Amino acid sequence: MQLFWLSVGFGLVTASVLAVSAVGLSLQFGITNYINFAYGDFMALGAYFSYALNNELLHLNIWVATVCGSVGMGLFAVLVNHFILAPFARRFRKTFYVLIVTFGLSLVLLNLEYSIWGADVRFFNMPMDRAHHLGPILLTNAQLIVMGIAVLLMLGVHTLLKTTRLGKSMRAMSDNTSLAMTSGIDTKRITTITWFLSGTLAGLSGTVLGITEGNLTPAAGELFLFVIFAAVIVGGVGSIYGAMAGALLIGLATEISAAYINPAYKLDIAFVILILTLLVRPSGLFARPGKA
Amino acid sequence: MNGTWYYVFTLVFFLFDYFILAMGLNIQYGETGILNFAYIGFVAIGAYVTGVMSLPNSAGTGQYYILGLSLPFPVNLLVGGLTASAFAVVVALIALRRLRTDYLAMVLISLSLVLYDVCNNYVPLFNGADGLYNVPEPFAGVLHLNTNSFIPFFAGVTGVIALLMWWVMSRVTRSPAGRTFRAIRDDDVVAAALGKDVFRQQLKSMIIGSFYAGIGGGLIMQFSGSFNPTAWLPGETFVVFAVILVGGVGNNIGLLVGALVVETLLVHLPAFLPAIPGHPGLIEYMDAAVIGILLMAMLWFRPQGLVSERVHKAASMGARERLNTGATLTLDEEAAALAHATGKPEA
Repeated sequence: MQLFWLSVGFGLVTASVLAVSAVGLSLQFGITNYINFAYGDFMALGAYFSYALNNELLHLNIWVATVCGSVGMGLFAVLVNHFILAPFARRFRKTFYVLIVTFGLSLVLLNLEYSIWGADVRFFNMPMDRAHHLGPILLTNAQLIVMGIAVLLMLGVHTLLKTTRLGKSMRAMSDNTSLAMTSGIDTKRITTITWFLSGTLAGLSGTVLGITEGNLTPAAGELFLFVIFAAVIVGGVGSIYGAMAGALLIGLATEISAAYINPAYKLDIAFVILILTLLVRPSGLFARPGKA
Repeated sequence: MNGTWYYVFTLVFFLFDYFILAMGLNIQYGETGILNFAYIGFVAIGAYVTGVMSLPNSAGTGQYYILGLSLPFPVNLLVGGLTASAFAVVVALIALRRLRTDYLAMVLISLSLVLYDVCNNYVPLFNGADGLYNVPEPFAGVLHLNTNSFIPFFAGVTGVIALLMWWVMSRVTRSPAGRTFRAIRDDDVVAAALGKDVFRQQLKSMIIGSFYAGIGGGLIMQFSGSFNPTAWLPGETFVVFAVILVGGVGNNIGLLVGALVVETLLVHLPAFLPAIPGHPGLIEYMDAAVIGILLMAMLWFRPQGLVSERVHKAASMGARERLNTGATLTLDEEAAALAHATGKPEA
């Protein structure tokens, strides 16, 4: 039973990382209507930005480096959208072209990371950590901070979408871009802001993934990508709250299963849940009409 | 035989092999419009199954794998291709029936990663991360080939197989089924409205394409005698996509050109460049990044590829006249005639 509660703790941490990344992916998908297959590499690149600030350039405190690295990744995402993705999306009506461009972008970014930082495993420079007992659950300081960040961000995204003018415009655009445009919403500006948010969340989740896993490699983001896809599809593609629920479900399921099966396969459990969802409820748990 | 010729025949082998792989992905994506982002998984299944079919029983080999039937070439290769096709049926029944483009691509790329994970970690299946090795070289015993003479010999065998498969593929693409595939690619709703069973046709296309994937994978296994998970990371699918997009979607000759440019010149030739001292692997990384950039540039400046898809003239020639005489029309022709009759431009 102790093992079970320990894995629940790990599950909540994984769910926090997943929730941040899945919301970042869903926000962008809702606005631009295509999946960013380079998202995993955005995560890894953001993590390396934080790593560079933490270990190589300024030797910042890990959490300061995390924030700066993530914002840097957000700006990078805006540039990528402006110079590469947006022109392709404007020019070709079929989604295929921009999908394959994101796939190509993933290859470019991954190999850029390999070229700069090499294939060696890197480690963040972290202060000594202590474990805390919360009832039967055991968590370190860093894990608690990660969970705190995730909860705050989810509340922040909720507030943004429900109460601010920007959030309302984003939801309007996600429902119907042309209608939003004719209603006077500056869709180009909203798209840019969305890419910034998506990139920032990608960078943040990539960094906290590296912190919770204890190491960092260029391929880390890509290997995590299908878990994010599972969370997003199980929750219902394009639905932000679905992404949060999917992240919680997948995060807990993968970590709890790791207590009972060979942990090497724990992420594959995400895929099993994905397939079961497709068989039983293909549009996901919180599907939005017209998106599946 | 000196080293140069050894390299040349290795390049020739990969040219023909990727021509086969590109034909398989082309019928799925280029002809039918299925975004199969798990393509390299089907290649790997073909490779592994071909390997375990030709290896002897695993006891005493120092490797762990299933089966081990010592089947001769090309029986093992055919079993590999057919297994990939059988797997395609399962995938299609679960994923293809339910999902449209992006979702399908997401599920398929996840599938590719999970397949990779399982083959990498579950040792009793295909020897885990070490992969299969010491796979018998076909005909080497009968023809008394040594390591040097095997390479040009097998490059030739692959060339013959590629030509045969090209002939079969051009028959398929010109058949009524091929025209139906293209109609689905161009607009699946219209195809369905004209009475075509879209899922059935997509299933057919998946089966044919995956067979090509399996054969291409099996040939790699036989050529190099070994195959392990580093050979088929999910990003490899992108290389095959690059071959067909650079060469020209929906055009078999273009695929050969694409295989020459991408696989031979960009993927394998740089491997022979001297390594930069102190930066192991840097050339490979830069090379992969260049392939990505080249593909984006290609899509932007010449989206139809180096060799454009041939216009299927039968579609517009005299379709209306034949409609009036009651002749049987192909789908393309029906659509053209319909557009003509209603005065609307062809969408």
